[in-house]
Amino acid sequence: MDRIDALLLLVPALPLCAAIVCAVLGPRLLRHYCHVPVVLCLIGACVASVLLFRAVPQARVPAAGEPLTSVPFERVVSVWRWAAIDDALPTPLSSGSSPRPAQFSVDVVLRVDALTAMMLTMVTFISSCIALYAAGYMRHDRGYWRFFAYLALFVFSMTMLVSVSNLVLLYVFWEAVGLCSYLLIGFWYEKPEAAAAGKKAFLVNRVGDFGFALALFLLWTTYGTLNFHDTTRTGRPLDAREVTAAAARDQAVGAPAEQVVQGVLSPSRITARNYVAGPVGLSICLLLMLGACGKSAQFPLHVWLPDAMEGPTPVSALIHAATMVTAGVYMVARCTPLFMVSPTAQLVVACVGGGTALLAALIALTQFDLKRVLAYSTISQLGYMFLGLGAGTFLGITSGLFHLFTHAFFKALLFLGAGSVMHAMGDIIDMRRFGGLRLRLPITHATFFIGCCALAGLPPFSGFWSKDAVVASIEERMHALGHAEAPAEHAVNSATAAQHPVVESAPAHAETIYRGLFWLAIFTGFLTALYTFRAFYLTFYGPERIPVEAGDHAHEAPPVMWWPLVVLSLGAAAAGFICDLTYTRQPVHLFAEFLASTPSLATGAAAATRGPYAFHASVAAISVVVAVAGVLLATYLYVGDAREVRWLKSLFDFEEFSRWYESGQRTNWHARPWVAAIDRAAERIGCRWLVRMAGQLLLLMGFVLASPLLLGNFFSPYKLSFHKFFLDELYDYVVVVPLQLAAIACNFLDRWVVDGAVNAVGKLVMALGSLMRSLQMGQLQFYALAMFLGVLVLLAAKLILIVG
Amino acid sequence: MNEAALLVNFLIVGGLLFVTGMVGFLVRRNLIVMFLSVEMMLQGISLSLIAWGRFHQDLGGQILVLFMIAVAAAEAGIALALILMLYFKSHTLDAAFWHDLREEGQPPFIDQGLPETRHEQPQWPRLTPAGIRPDVNQDEQLHRSQV
Repeated sequence: MDRIDALLLLVPALPLCAAIVCAVLGPRLLRHYCHVPVVLCLIGACVASVLLFRAVPQARVPAAGEPLTSVPFERVVSVWRWAAIDDALPTPLSSGSSPRPAQFSVDVVLRVDALTAMMLTMVTFISSCIALYAAGYMRHDRGYWRFFAYLALFVFSMTMLVSVSNLVLLYVFWEAVGLCSYLLIGFWYEKPEAAAAGKKAFLVNRVGDFGFALALFLLWTTYGTLNFHDTTRTGRPLDAREVTAAAARDQAVGAPAEQVVQGVLSPSRITARNYVAGPVGLSICLLLMLGACGKSAQFPLHVWLPDAMEGPTPVSALIHAATMVTAGVYMVARCTPLFMVSPTAQLVVACVGGGTALLAALIALTQFDLKRVLAYSTISQLGYMFLGLGAGTFLGITSGLFHLFTHAFFKALLFLGAGSVMHAMGDIIDMRRFGGLRLRLPITHATFFIGCCALAGLPPFSGFWSKDAVVASIEERMHALGHAEAPAEHAVNSATAAQHPVVESAPAHAETIYRGLFWLAIFTGFLTALYTFRAFYLTFYGPERIPVEAGDHAHEAPPVMWWPLVVLSLGAAAAGFICDLTYTRQPVHLFAEFLASTPSLATGAAAATRGPYAFHASVAAISVVVAVAGVLLATYLYVGDAREVRWLKSLFDFEEFSRWYESGQRTNWHARPWVAAIDRAAERIGCRWLVRMAGQLLLLMGFVLASPLLLGNFFSPYKLSFHKFFLDELYDYVVVVPLQLAAIACNFLDRWVVDGAVNAVGKLVMALGSLMRSLQMGQLQFYALAMFLGVLVLLAAKLILIVG
Repeated sequence: MNEAALLVNFLIVGGLLFVTGMVGFLVRRNLIVMFLSVEMMLQGISLSLIAWGRFHQDLGGQILVLFMIAVAAAEAGIALALILMLYFKSHTLDAAFWHDLREEGQPPFIDQGLPETRHEQPQWPRLTPAGIRPDVNQDEQLHRSQV
């Protein structure tokens, strides 16, 4: 075991130790010092991750004449065998994929490559900051030890999730992350909303996890293994040298590799492009994407994330920045080789991401809950990440991950800033109730401003570089599809494509769709700047308003809370232009360069799409203009009086129309003289009922004709955005209510049919008993007589037996 | 008189004793008389046992009867004590007065000529409560770690 292995084991082990210590010693011994082991262990894990981060690029060994960047590096550490089933030999759907499937064994195997090292560093760094902040924020909570035990467990699950080398274990820790989020969202379980939000998060995630589980089954039947790495048939991990040796030996003999089972994502399989395309490959990708949608809160399953705001604010920061929602992005990025064979799946990923980004940005425009605005911005930014992953090029995938990296900094910063606002405002988070806090909370104000700039994508803050890279990758993909689509692809892949016809051509209209997504991403960038600075101005500018709950001591948070803010704001400000050096003379993207040694990106289809780094000046110019326009619009609208805001609201809420409609409803028609005159005239001729009926009919026709307008009254753009496009209500009526009806039916069946049968048996016995009960009237002599008669009957029976 | 005729005579007398006792038990309501009737039934059985013992030239019957007399003496002591206690509680010896062994919810069978009311329940002595209730912090209980 060398240094890398030890560090790799240390990173998850430290948070686990902290969780156990906190859970065992917390309630009795540590009490208000519960944060000490957690913070220490997380900082230790962070240091270990940084060391790992530095060790990974140095550990690559290029062969002679090979460029360093295209050398895949992965290290696999086997911890123990969890389960092994010898007889589980599946029949692969396609004969070519895996001739000799491995025995089904689940090994706890950790891996490290560039992607894992990056994720570990990000997760542990952000969680250390958040744990430090939570030590101040949760100080007066009764469940102090419980909070830190859950927190450490959460970080442990996430570090394991990004470092396991087996899809089954990935699923296990996927669920563990879900469990921890459930525990932490419902941390204040005495509050009904918090309990409901925890349940909602758990249940919505189940939908996605179901898809993920199906994807695992399909992967197993297709590839015959669920390991990422190469193994022998008995499940022992093989390193790259052994695999090459085995391949060389087999080539000499002329037989296929018998002993080696290629892992799903192993370098040898990626290099050989041994992947199944077609409907099976597409289904695997779509099911994986469904799982990622659940965990990363993408469009159909995003409804749990805003409700997760019911948890304590550090938990929101943790879920949004570091641990929970990034799991889906990580999983899709990890499974890049699977997605590379199916352009349709990539298109779906991009469309889901783009649609979610726009939808969430539209909703965020009208929310008044500061944390909810941030939650929708998270959903929107996750949409950007999926957009990058869906571009399906080297640039797209690395930019999606780069956005994940920078987003972790500024979103953690923004959430912790919102937490410090809540701390000062006595747990009030409604932006209508406070304002003008910039003098009261100077440090929060400054750091929040940096976070907002990063989120809005203003240069030189980090969000600008990563968001820009995502948009640029979409543009690049669009051009690649438009100009030289098929020939270029074939030129690169002709050698392998002849052997393995796995590269599908992109679906029709892909270029048009990507073009739409490009403009959609630009427009979403404008909305992002607008809603971000709306929240910023509503909170920190305008006349100073402080809710009564805050009392008269609204003050800046203690140092233990603002130090993490400062540290994170440094990251949010500088992470972009330090990692992205494409603006220099020799354009290079340090982050992408680092990730390039991940096996999925170093060789195979993803590496084939790799081009030289370049600064996309046109895209950057458009997005800067758009972001500045958004910020300026927000400044014009929300600084000073709110006249324009009111006008915009009346415009988008169709207020004129509803006023007209309501006035029509209020009119008393019988008071009008001409109506009364007609009424009287009709009465005089004696056909009043006819006129009345005609009037009713006219009214009915009017309603039918005006129904689109009435709908407009209920579904104005403002109302749609304010009520989150009524998606919660839609799910209520489509899913929740039918399930509740089914539950009522089942309850009825159980109570009256199943239980009824059981009770009927009991009732029958009781009815029989009640016939005899009247004999037990308590008269002593009757009992004696009954005894005597009984003896007589027995004697008579005996006599009859003897005689007869 | 041969042995068989002797046996028949004894059995007739024993049977008469038994039936007389049983009729007495069934028709009388005085507890003491009922107890006497039971004793009479017992004697009837004893007599037939002795007769059979003699008929079979077997001392077991007589030994059993001696045994029964001893047991009956002990039983008489207990039964009379019980009757005495019942009398103390109700001031009557009427068996129909007691019908507490009936099925719950079943109306009692009321005989004629019963006294109107039963005496009130006796006051049994009780221990006085001692000590103070321990002080339990409900809040602490709610947030205690549960295993």
